[in-house]
Amino acid sequence: MKYWLAFTSIATAALIASAQTADAHIVASRLGDFYTGALHPLTDLQDLILWAAMGVLAGSLGASKGRWLVLAFPLGLLAGLGLGRATGFVSAGPAADAGMILVLGLLLAAAVRMPMALLCAIAFGLAVMRGAANAGDLGPETNRLLFAAGLACAGYAAITLTMAVTLAFRRPEAGASMAWRGIAIRAFGGWIAAIGLMMVGFAYAS
Amino acid sequence: MSSRIFPRLAVALAILALAQPVFAHEQVGVAGGLASGLLHPLTGMDHLIAMVAVGIWGAQLGAPAIWVLPITFPLVMALGGVLGVLRIPLPMPEVAIALSALVLGAAVALRLRLPFAAAAIVVAVFAVFHGHTHGAELPGSANPLAYGVGFVVATGLLHLCGITIGTLTRWPAGGRLIQGLGVVIAALGCYFLAQSLGAVA
Repeated sequence: MKYWLAFTSIATAALIASAQTADAHIVASRLGDFYTGALHPLTDLQDLILWAAMGVLAGSLGASKGRWLVLAFPLGLLAGLGLGRATGFVSAGPAADAGMILVLGLLLAAAVRMPMALLCAIAFGLAVMRGAANAGDLGPETNRLLFAAGLACAGYAAITLTMAVTLAFRRPEAGASMAWRGIAIRAFGGWIAAIGLMMVGFAYAS
Repeated sequence: MSSRIFPRLAVALAILALAQPVFAHEQVGVAGGLASGLLHPLTGMDHLIAMVAVGIWGAQLGAPAIWVLPITFPLVMALGGVLGVLRIPLPMPEVAIALSALVLGAAVALRLRLPFAAAAIVVAVFAVFHGHTHGAELPGSANPLAYGVGFVVATGLLHLCGITIGTLTRWPAGGRLIQGLGVVIAALGCYFLAQSLGAVA
């Protein structure tokens, strides 16, 4: 019994010690470039802030205006990625990114009611900018089709979810008792604009 | 005896084999910038009490101050932040920040009801000084964007904290409690003012 227990303990320890990283997901396989494309923008704070601000802006304007972004935003990302690959243009510079954060924040804070075409144009322009920026990290061995598909899916999911959460939070049909929710969204815009304004200053200072 | 040694030896071996490097307090990049930005307004007592006082005063003044404040204050503060980033000096920033705690604390203690425009100008002037101090730290941070996000969010949450405290004014006892809090903030402002003028160590 004693020897059996000792043998089992040592065998268990040896098994645990020889454990390797589990490749349960297919990141390490050929489809890894899809995940690279999907995760690349989500690990960049600049993308996160801009995408979130765009989604909240579209959501605050209502479903009828915002729903077109579900298509326009991923298409813009793909266009930007293609532009980046074709021309080598990867970034309009930190001042342009900071300026975009400032503009989106000001539009949110001021609760500007804009036409659907203008909203789509802003979203498409932003997506082209960020798509091109993401193209900068495409390696020669990266599968471009998979990377582009991952990026477009991430853009689609992020913009749709952010708009949906904003719409659900705002609930304009709830009336005056829920007016504070609209103010909270505008305050969020004030925060975004403040971050953008400081980054504009920083871009010109450095 | 040997039967007790073997399992213990096996467990010890397994623990050693599974050991991973510890990354405690990894203050680099985004995490470092975000942490320093979040903590900057929270670790400076003069900033903290002034921001909370702004929220309380806004709640005492009621509409439109209570909702205009959280929307516009970060923007005005960011203007000061840009001056700080660009290294454009402001006169006696430490004195102005201490004065902000004193004035805003006194306004809360006295339930000062200024016209909205006048209250906005008072708060805006102080916001520029507070933003300047935060902004001056931005270029040296691990990740300037993360630092900016951190300090704007921390400042906004301090306002929210002040507005939440300010809702106590709905009840007479709560109103008196808030006035007492205003006295404490003003007293701390006096102390910071004396400190910035070199009167106390």
